[in-house]
Amino acid sequence: MRGMKFSFLCRSKPERTGKRVAIIGAGPAGLTAAGYLVCKGHDVDIYDKMPEPGGLMLFVIPEFRIPVERVRLGAKELEEEFEVTYYPRTKVMEGEREDEGDEFYERIVKLSELKEKYDAVLIATGIWNVRRIGIPGDDLEGILSPLELLFWIKGHELGYVPKEKVPDLEGKRVGIIGAGLTAVDVAFECNRLGAEVEMFYRRTIREAPAGAYEINILRNRGVKWFELVTPKRVIGENGRVKAIELLRTRLGEPDETGRRRPIPIPGSEFQVELDYLVFAIGMAPTPPVNGSYIATDRRARIVVDSRHMTSVEGIFAAGDVVNGPTKVGRAIKDGLYAAVSIDRWLRGEL
Amino acid sequence: MMERKYLYLDYLTCIGCETCETVCAFIHDGSPNIRIYVTENKQYVPINCKHCDDAPCLRVCPTHAIYRDEDGAVRIHEDKCIGCLACLQVCPYGVPFYSLKVKAITKCDMCAERREEGLEPACALMCPAEAIQYGPLEMVLELVKERRAKNIPEHQRELSDEELKKSIVSGYSVL
Repeated sequence: MRGMKFSFLCRSKPERTGKRVAIIGAGPAGLTAAGYLVCKGHDVDIYDKMPEPGGLMLFVIPEFRIPVERVRLGAKELEEEFEVTYYPRTKVMEGEREDEGDEFYERIVKLSELKEKYDAVLIATGIWNVRRIGIPGDDLEGILSPLELLFWIKGHELGYVPKEKVPDLEGKRVGIIGAGLTAVDVAFECNRLGAEVEMFYRRTIREAPAGAYEINILRNRGVKWFELVTPKRVIGENGRVKAIELLRTRLGEPDETGRRRPIPIPGSEFQVELDYLVFAIGMAPTPPVNGSYIATDRRARIVVDSRHMTSVEGIFAAGDVVNGPTKVGRAIKDGLYAAVSIDRWLRGEL
Repeated sequence: MMERKYLYLDYLTCIGCETCETVCAFIHDGSPNIRIYVTENKQYVPINCKHCDDAPCLRVCPTHAIYRDEDGAVRIHEDKCIGCLACLQVCPYGVPFYSLKVKAITKCDMCAERREEGLEPACALMCPAEAIQYGPLEMVLELVKERRAKNIPEHQRELSDEELKKSIVSGYSVL
């Protein structure tokens, strides 16, 4: 196997410019930006809160989609051939906020410190928070975050998470709310670990963001698929999940996304007994700030101009922390074009 | 003649992330030669020139504007192309497109400029899923088999070396 070649634009590092760039977040956007910047002769340091570079590609997306070695070898090449320095287990933050995966970091660095130390900073911290659903009982024991569950499973396989941390899913009934790529990945992993998986979606398989193809593979493996249902409340026993109460829905007029809006049918409540429940209904950006220092919008996304620059001169941002959840390729695109801007800005052309 | 190189897109391994399209567009002024198509049930199909061993476009071109370079890439002589679109008519994948800017047919040239500098095609280097392989036939064959072994069983196929080889050199999709 060969690694991703983030420095695909050059064979070796050209003459040094002497400019230093800090990149926060070693996911697809950050690593791709690093690859571009080293090809332009800049020195790059990458800070990441996880124990190893790769981001969601390494710690969350299942091995069969993106092989670990593919990412690892790519990150290693940047280090060995292009003198990129990694600062793993380092969370960069101005202010305070708890995010998923915080258990992995060992030190905190302030964003403003990096701004002082480097000629430019790129924020590519992605989406390490999970959207909460806000229904009664959604904080019971046995309700798992899709992100946590995936990085516990993969983190354990990579040797970073002790076995006790990963729930024993063998023979357990796991309910998953949602039908996006994360929901499907959670279903694949739980099914692989021997769970009885049931998926619940408020529209039909035709509207499912993950697509009928993936969902039908899961159904052929024994995953149960319930469509046109929406969660009303989680029922607990001694503080632990026991069942979920669902309402049937029907599809109404199309909403702003063009998909028909699910309308709950009053009086159609029914319950499904479960051991674990996962709300995979979306992920939220985790910028290294909390409401001050640089501008973010209502959905916590970092606001950037056409140069990918944030409200602070010299700090740029790219990837899911700017766009919200997208595809790997979209993050790579953003990282690439942000790096072009950074290079031009460092040369005084922008 | 140098050793023939192949650029193989494995539909069974592609995750539809669009990285190939992104890096291809980046090095081609925003117009990618490789594109991901999505079926109604959300299967992702990357479509690109297969640089077929027996390329119908090369045979049909009335002005001999299509040729094969020393790595085996099917290329266009832009100044010889008269824009008749015969190549498009015979291409099983509908790959060639007429560029109003260049005033000639354009398509993937297996990153010809990059190859001159000793760099490999960008899409193959950057695909996170390792669904795109570039190199001599035996090497591509090995890499595809090694990568497919990591796929879920639904995306593995019992193929003989001969069948896989045929798929790589002709572009015929063996699914």
